[in-house]
Amino acid sequence: MSTIYILCVEDEPEVLDVIVRDLSGLEEVFPIEMAVSADEARQIIKEINEQGDKIGLAICDHVMPGDKGVELMIEMQKEEFTERTRKVLLTGQAGLDATVEAVNHARLNRYIAKPWDPENLVNVAKDELTTYVIENEKDLLPFMGILDAKRIQEAIRARGSISDY
Amino acid sequence: MRSKEKKRFPDWTKTAVGLALGLIGFCIPLFVNFDGLSFAGHLTLGIFLVAASFWMLEPIPIYATSMLVIFLQIVLLSTQGPLYQNAELPSYTVEQASGQEEVWRIPDTALQNGTLFLRTGDRSSEELQVEVVETENGFVLVRSGELTAETQIVSDVNHILTGYTPASYTVFMGTLASPIIILFLGGFMLAAAAVKYNLDKNLTNVLLKPFGEKPMFIILGLMLVTAVLSAFMSNTATTAMMMTVAIPIALQVSVEDKFRVMLALSIPIAANLGGMATPIGTPPNAIVISALNAQGEGIAFGTWMLIAVPLVLVMLLSAWGLMRVMYPPTITRFKLELDSAFDKSAKALVMYAIFALTVVLWITEAQHGIPSGMVAFLPIMGLTVTSVLEKEDIRRLPWEVLWLVAGGIALGISMENTGLAIWLVSSISWDVLPQIGLLLVFGFVALMLSNFLSNTVTATLLIPLAVSMGTSGIAGEGFSLVISAVMIGMACNMAMLLPISTPPNAIAMSTGYIKTADMVKIGSIIGIIGLFVALAYAVLFWPLILL
Repeated sequence: MSTIYILCVEDEPEVLDVIVRDLSGLEEVFPIEMAVSADEARQIIKEINEQGDKIGLAICDHVMPGDKGVELMIEMQKEEFTERTRKVLLTGQAGLDATVEAVNHARLNRYIAKPWDPENLVNVAKDELTTYVIENEKDLLPFMGILDAKRIQEAIRARGSISDY
Repeated sequence: MRSKEKKRFPDWTKTAVGLALGLIGFCIPLFVNFDGLSFAGHLTLGIFLVAASFWMLEPIPIYATSMLVIFLQIVLLSTQGPLYQNAELPSYTVEQASGQEEVWRIPDTALQNGTLFLRTGDRSSEELQVEVVETENGFVLVRSGELTAETQIVSDVNHILTGYTPASYTVFMGTLASPIIILFLGGFMLAAAAVKYNLDKNLTNVLLKPFGEKPMFIILGLMLVTAVLSAFMSNTATTAMMMTVAIPIALQVSVEDKFRVMLALSIPIAANLGGMATPIGTPPNAIVISALNAQGEGIAFGTWMLIAVPLVLVMLLSAWGLMRVMYPPTITRFKLELDSAFDKSAKALVMYAIFALTVVLWITEAQHGIPSGMVAFLPIMGLTVTSVLEKEDIRRLPWEVLWLVAGGIALGISMENTGLAIWLVSSISWDVLPQIGLLLVFGFVALMLSNFLSNTVTATLLIPLAVSMGTSGIAGEGFSLVISAVMIGMACNMAMLLPISTPPNAIAMSTGYIKTADMVKIGSIIGIIGLFVALAYAVLFWPLILL
């Protein structure tokens, strides 16, 4: 089975560390990859693609040197490999225009304002990853312990994908 | 980037070993001649070995193995297949030996271990035991009162038709439309409709209400409701649905509370046990019933429930008591939030009516005499003509389970009619064991195997052996085919030792509330209790109903 990654993009290394620390509970199942710029993020996306793995969730800052977070997300939405990736904007400085752009063209799934509540960030991540696995994975059982177990059971029931044998 | 967890063997080893064993198994009977086994029996042994290896090690999915089995049967064993298409039994007319009454001269190729075959047609023969008087170059003198001057015998015991009348290929394919498969299809469609209109959830919420707020009674309620639903729906679907009720409860109690363990264990246990309660509860029941049907020993739907429900109840209560001792909950009260909102649309109402009517007709089969397989066409027809189930819903039915069972039934047919099953069991003198010992052996083997294999596969491999012991009489006095087969079926469903034993166990395990050790502990005790309770029923209670 291929691995599902979480991608965090944030230009300030200290902030990036905090995000990763907040999400560390998920790392056992969803390894976290960090990037400090859109360019580095593209490189990581390429590597993960070449390994045959997937990216389930991208958490992106907006204001960064070089390409902005929203631009990266729009690009990801256009690429087949990252189209299904759940996209979360984590920012304090995105203006209305950039946010509207992200919603309309990157199919932004969530917006979290800085400073964030760590518990909320984890809940959003779990919720988005649950949606991702339900939409994309055949075998849901490995994710039940760490994600929203009730939604996953509900999906198993509705899908009828596991039968008695 | 991190490396994945190390495994002792790479994934492909099991696949490779499974494929290799299957191929070797298939070839053995082609190169080795087993005494007393017909040519067709050799072919079937090959199919049996490849199927057993594939079913056990799963180099290919188990339903694919079933399809392979049916394919091999229509090619190798059917009367239209390349081997048997133009085959005809070689004939020899016996000659009376000069001067001796009832002594006949036959070619020595016509005799094996004192058995010759009477030629009853171009493609059919019957066994006859004779007494060997004398052998002379190429010929044997045998004594028998059954032979006359015109008797035609088969001149070659090793001929491919000896001891086997080839079945039409439609027999093997037809297993997919056998009454038991149609019964299951009816059950699947009812279950799919119930899930589509949330009948299962709403029923659960209504049924759980009377169990109040005490944790032990909530568990009892969950177990009883799970068992009732899984008697009619798949054990797995029931478990997934009940877990959506149990998980919110678990999230509200503290992580240390044993109540969580109990919640996660009680549901798969009840789902596994509940499957025993009706013929459609779980696929091994289908294998048992179809094998018995083939021997003219039909079991009505209601009769099955009469023998199984008391067993299920005792097992549920023992499991409940056991968990109460092993995992006493800390909390004393828990308020369940149960909202039921039954769908009242026209389609939903139609579905409720069809569901109720079908279940009533199934249970009362003995009273009105309409076979349950026929009744099953009521939901099949009713749910589709009313568009309760649409094309997409029908596509989503677990068709592979039907193929799995059909392959099992087809293999059983060939094991019986080529004499393979009898040959396999006849090397052991079973009659030294008393009937109860034999039941215990069957139950124990079934329980052990199905802890590691699919329950259906276990039943498929064991039931033909039990049937042939019954029909051949080698099991001795007092052997009941029906009771032995039912015992095996029940034991297959009691296997819940490991997460891999059944899909409900795997679902419960993946919640993370329990450890494998918990499952092994309670699973082993339940297995042993179940075996002995079933044995007690098999000796004291079932004979009153079945014999």
